[in-house]
Amino acid sequence: MRSLLDFIVRYYHWLLFIVLEGISLVLLFRFNHYQSSVWLTTANTVVGRVDSWQQQAMRYVNLGVENEELMRRNMVLEYNISQLQQRLTELTHDSSYTELRQAERYDSLRLIPAHITTNSVLRRNNFLTIDRGEQDGVQSEMGVVCGTGIVGIVYMTSAHYAIVMPLLNSRSHISCRLRGTGYFGYLKWDGRHPLYAVLDDIPRHARSHVGDIVETSGFSSVFPSGIFVGKVSAIENSDDGLSYKLRVHLGTDFSRLENVAVVAQQFQPEVRALEERADSLNISE
Amino acid sequence: MFKFTFEDMVITFLQRLLWLVALVAAQMMVFNYVHILGYATPMPYVYLLLLFPLGTQRWTILLWGFCCGLLCDIVSLTTGVGAGAMTVAAFIQPPLLTLLAPKDAVEDMQPSFAAMDFWPYVRYAAVVTFVFTAVYFLLQSFNFFHIVDLAISFLSSWLLTLLICVAIEGVRGGRSSKNIKM
Repeated sequence: MRSLLDFIVRYYHWLLFIVLEGISLVLLFRFNHYQSSVWLTTANTVVGRVDSWQQQAMRYVNLGVENEELMRRNMVLEYNISQLQQRLTELTHDSSYTELRQAERYDSLRLIPAHITTNSVLRRNNFLTIDRGEQDGVQSEMGVVCGTGIVGIVYMTSAHYAIVMPLLNSRSHISCRLRGTGYFGYLKWDGRHPLYAVLDDIPRHARSHVGDIVETSGFSSVFPSGIFVGKVSAIENSDDGLSYKLRVHLGTDFSRLENVAVVAQQFQPEVRALEERADSLNISE
Repeated sequence: MFKFTFEDMVITFLQRLLWLVALVAAQMMVFNYVHILGYATPMPYVYLLLLFPLGTQRWTILLWGFCCGLLCDIVSLTTGVGAGAMTVAAFIQPPLLTLLAPKDAVEDMQPSFAAMDFWPYVRYAAVVTFVFTAVYFLLQSFNFFHIVDLAISFLSSWLLTLLICVAIEGVRGGRSSKNIKM
């Protein structure tokens, strides 16, 4: 404060000069139209220029925030584009006979669409997790399918999620048949290639060929009959030599699987209750 | 350090006031109507600043200059122009007089032919009137679109103002030999 007072005392004539010049200029601009208009025009130009510089500086300073926002927005748009492209591909896809037939089969079922949240194909016993659970109507032992064939069976459920045992699990056994012949067997995965499974127990008198279509047999309450599974890629003898072992090229590529649907059959609970009752009576022994 | 009595201060104030009234009246009644060839307009009221002796407080000169310029603005309808120009001239007067004063000048030297000799005084008057006229024309024109006309007006007005100031000082100098001091 004392320094300030010393400064004012020492340079008071400067302050007085500035004040008097200020008064003179105010009078000049207040009472002289030409000077006033020139001043206002110049002041507006200068203020506009300074504002422009300030805006540019602020834009530069805010680039980081804008960049983050753009990145976030870009991610959302990228996601939307991928979804739309996928949808477009589905809608404009030249469906094969198998897929059309598959779609017809699905039309008669109640399907619960779901997204896969976790997936694995590298283990011997793989599992999938889907984002639908009991609150969405998903129960254990329901079948899971996708647009290109079967996926697996619901193994365990929670309120909002469910774990699916896919075909790529050594404990998976799904009853399948050769389309057109009716011969059936059990589809298993040998733990080797994720695109191939093995259809066991096909009788030796059944005439099968490479390229034959394998579909679900419908001998359980899990899958209805006629859902595409894959095509026969090789025919081998079984270990005991009493039947054929068909190598099946699966229709479902599990490594690219994203969207699936849980098959809710109308009479599945009733069939399951009946099967449990039969098991309790030991009538199969 | 010289000291003024209250009586001296009143007399000095009244003398300055008399000069101010006389110069403003002369400007209002005579010099405002002088436009030689449409360019040269004398403004000898700046002479008031030339009268202030060495060692005068700067705020005194600034206030007298501002008031004189403002009065002339009021009578000349050039509000703010004369006041601004006189304030700038008043601001440079003390250091300029200190610079141009003779080495053996008394500390309250009154600028005059007798105290400074003719040419040093003219030089002193020329710088003060130059600054005053330059600021005056800058504020009045407020642009450089007609720079040649502006330069002619400025130079001719400056020389005419300087001439009149020197003439007034010449007349006053004759009387100062009778030891009339401001």
